[in-house]
Amino acid sequence: MTAFRYSRSVHLAGALVLVGAVATGCGGGKTGSGGSDKTTGVTITVALATEPPPQASIDAFTKSTGITVKWTNTDWDSLQTKIAAAATAKTYFADATDVDWSRVGQLGKLNWFYPMENYLDTKALAAEMPQLTSFSSNGHVVGIPYDASFLVTTVNKKLFTKAGISTMPTTIDEYTADLKQIKSKNVAQYPLNIPFAAAEGLSTYWYQTTAAFGGTILDGSGKPQFATPDSPGYRAAQWMVDAIKQGLVPPGNINVADSQGQQTLMAKGVVASTFADYSGNVGSLYSVPASSTVVDQVAYLSTPGVGGAGPNMSNPDGIGIPRQAKYPAAAAKFIDWFTSAQNQADFAGASGPDKVMPGYFLPSRLAGMAELTQKGKLIGGQQLADLLKNSAKPVFPEGAPSWYPEFSKSVYTSLHAAATGSMSVDDAIHAMAGTANKLSS
Amino acid sequence: MTVGTHSGRRHDVPPAGTAAPGRAGPRRRFDLLPYALVTPLTLFIVALALVPAGVTIVQSFFRVDELDPPTRFTGLDNFRQLFADGAVRSSLVNTGLYVVIGVLLSTVLGIVMAVTLQRPFRGRSILIAVLILPWALPGVVEGLVWTGIWDANIGLLNSVLTSTHLISHYQVFLGQHRFLTILAIELVQVWQMTPLSTLLILASLQNIPSELYEAAVLDGCTPWQALRRITLPLARPGIAIAMVQAVIATLNVFDQPYVLNGSADTGASLTMQTYFISFQNLDFGEGYALSLLITVATLILSLGVVKLVYRQVEF
Repeated sequence: MTAFRYSRSVHLAGALVLVGAVATGCGGGKTGSGGSDKTTGVTITVALATEPPPQASIDAFTKSTGITVKWTNTDWDSLQTKIAAAATAKTYFADATDVDWSRVGQLGKLNWFYPMENYLDTKALAAEMPQLTSFSSNGHVVGIPYDASFLVTTVNKKLFTKAGISTMPTTIDEYTADLKQIKSKNVAQYPLNIPFAAAEGLSTYWYQTTAAFGGTILDGSGKPQFATPDSPGYRAAQWMVDAIKQGLVPPGNINVADSQGQQTLMAKGVVASTFADYSGNVGSLYSVPASSTVVDQVAYLSTPGVGGAGPNMSNPDGIGIPRQAKYPAAAAKFIDWFTSAQNQADFAGASGPDKVMPGYFLPSRLAGMAELTQKGKLIGGQQLADLLKNSAKPVFPEGAPSWYPEFSKSVYTSLHAAATGSMSVDDAIHAMAGTANKLSS
Repeated sequence: MTVGTHSGRRHDVPPAGTAAPGRAGPRRRFDLLPYALVTPLTLFIVALALVPAGVTIVQSFFRVDELDPPTRFTGLDNFRQLFADGAVRSSLVNTGLYVVIGVLLSTVLGIVMAVTLQRPFRGRSILIAVLILPWALPGVVEGLVWTGIWDANIGLLNSVLTSTHLISHYQVFLGQHRFLTILAIELVQVWQMTPLSTLLILASLQNIPSELYEAAVLDGCTPWQALRRITLPLARPGIAIAMVQAVIATLNVFDQPYVLNGSADTGASLTMQTYFISFQNLDFGEGYALSLLITVATLILSLGVVKLVYRQVEF
């Protein structure tokens, strides 16, 4: 009987401990805004959709600053959900996290992130980071670009040459004619890669094509600039849909996303060109024997525009400090270190494989890009550096609107529907313009 | 031995130690332990299910838009906007198709597989272990795996069909035609759900006494008649539970259509719309309203299935 009583007491105590634990769990974890200014002896959480830098580099940062870094790698979609959920609930989530160029307007309006000019000399940074303008909203810098990403045309020179094309196209008309020649000579059954899956990559492809046709998407007040048939945006959409209808694009591409098309079509020599490709793909994907069958065949091409080379649309990744950060000042020190020219060059491979950050290819600082190019560690480095400095432009010169995600969804679902034939190009443009008009009014 | 299926209550003998009616039994001391043991679970349920459910119900009648503050009461506006939204209406049709195809297929396949596994045979336990694997995989992983099968440019299915000359050129399975897209996506979910349906039905079948089948054989019953007259009626509790879990899973399908077909209208589900409305548009009020509608639909359909299929079985 004693044993029985003992057992019941233990169970009761255990149950009470559980109750306490549950109550603590439910009530704990709330952290308001206005974090600590401490910059030593603290641990910060960095949440990004990428692998961390090498542990040795992070250890060196910890040794020099006293700031320990806990890195969380979360996929991009989940990360955006976590950022929104945590900010809405005013709950701590991370000290530094992703600021995507497309969310800048939303984040700026909602005041979910600290203005970076409070912590860093953003005016000085602007001269060094051409894409910093993509992170400005309402006069504040919401995040700092940590890589340079812009859209650029890539061509498989071997396939072009095989089709008898010796001079690379400089205009969109020449480019289209060359693609048709490649198809007609049976060099590639489907020479062009356009990712028509209903996803963000389709929107950015259209933005880049619209820029090549000499236009913009929205004006400063968010009104659509692509509604009439003679507008560059309309013509760009028509050109893309015609390309799949005329057999220049694989029919299966209506369900192929951007990176998927680059990996399974462009890198395998199935298609001859991607009009809006990722900057850095030639070195990081097409020239890597493990992932490519077209090594040394693919090169960057200045964007074929209406009357010559067109611009390249920026879509860089940035890092910022959420309002609920526990240690914003320490996070700012980390961002300063993480985006320094030397570290960026090291992460991209300028100082050997030990300092490489997986998946990191292009520094956002011109100095980082220059070092990488000088050391010959970046294929097409000089061309990319020139494009970054002179040709890379923000998709929305006035800053992405706060309602960008809803607009983008309308763009990619409508263009996808036009590609499948369930909607005409005119109806698709009408739906996209209607969304922009509704959201901007 | 009595066997039967009915929905009435069983009249049990009072448990030992319980006073019979009309007699005063020994007065029992208040026991804290049972309450203490259920309290953690109760707190979990209250904190993680009932409170959020309550908040969802209340907030669905408010405009909770991060880009359009402040939060304010708007009555049924969120619901009106949902029904006026073409994307939501399209997703409603898609989700209805997911539910019909998914519940029917997973239940039929679950019954077939459970009946196959009912009798012991060599390697049965290994087969059951292998069977569970798709259920254990995350939906996103399954979507990625099946992308390689359905892909219209380099997919396995196209490769097999062309090499066996069943088709002359590669076909587009996803994104082109709505019904084909939904069927292809739902097959992936059925592949995931069926193992659990099988196990639930198999558990019911294991309770059926073998004497019943022996008696049926003596009475001249064929295997098909045994299936119809003994197996299926007595497996109804398991079938009902399997169908309810299939209803819940298909009504809330997200990973498979999102990974396989992106945000396209041809396959978008209601839960995907909830995500877009809440976390892309930051219109949480409308998101709450849609979540509430999905919850109500889940409850109604689940209760309907229970009412229609479930019968209490006694041996």
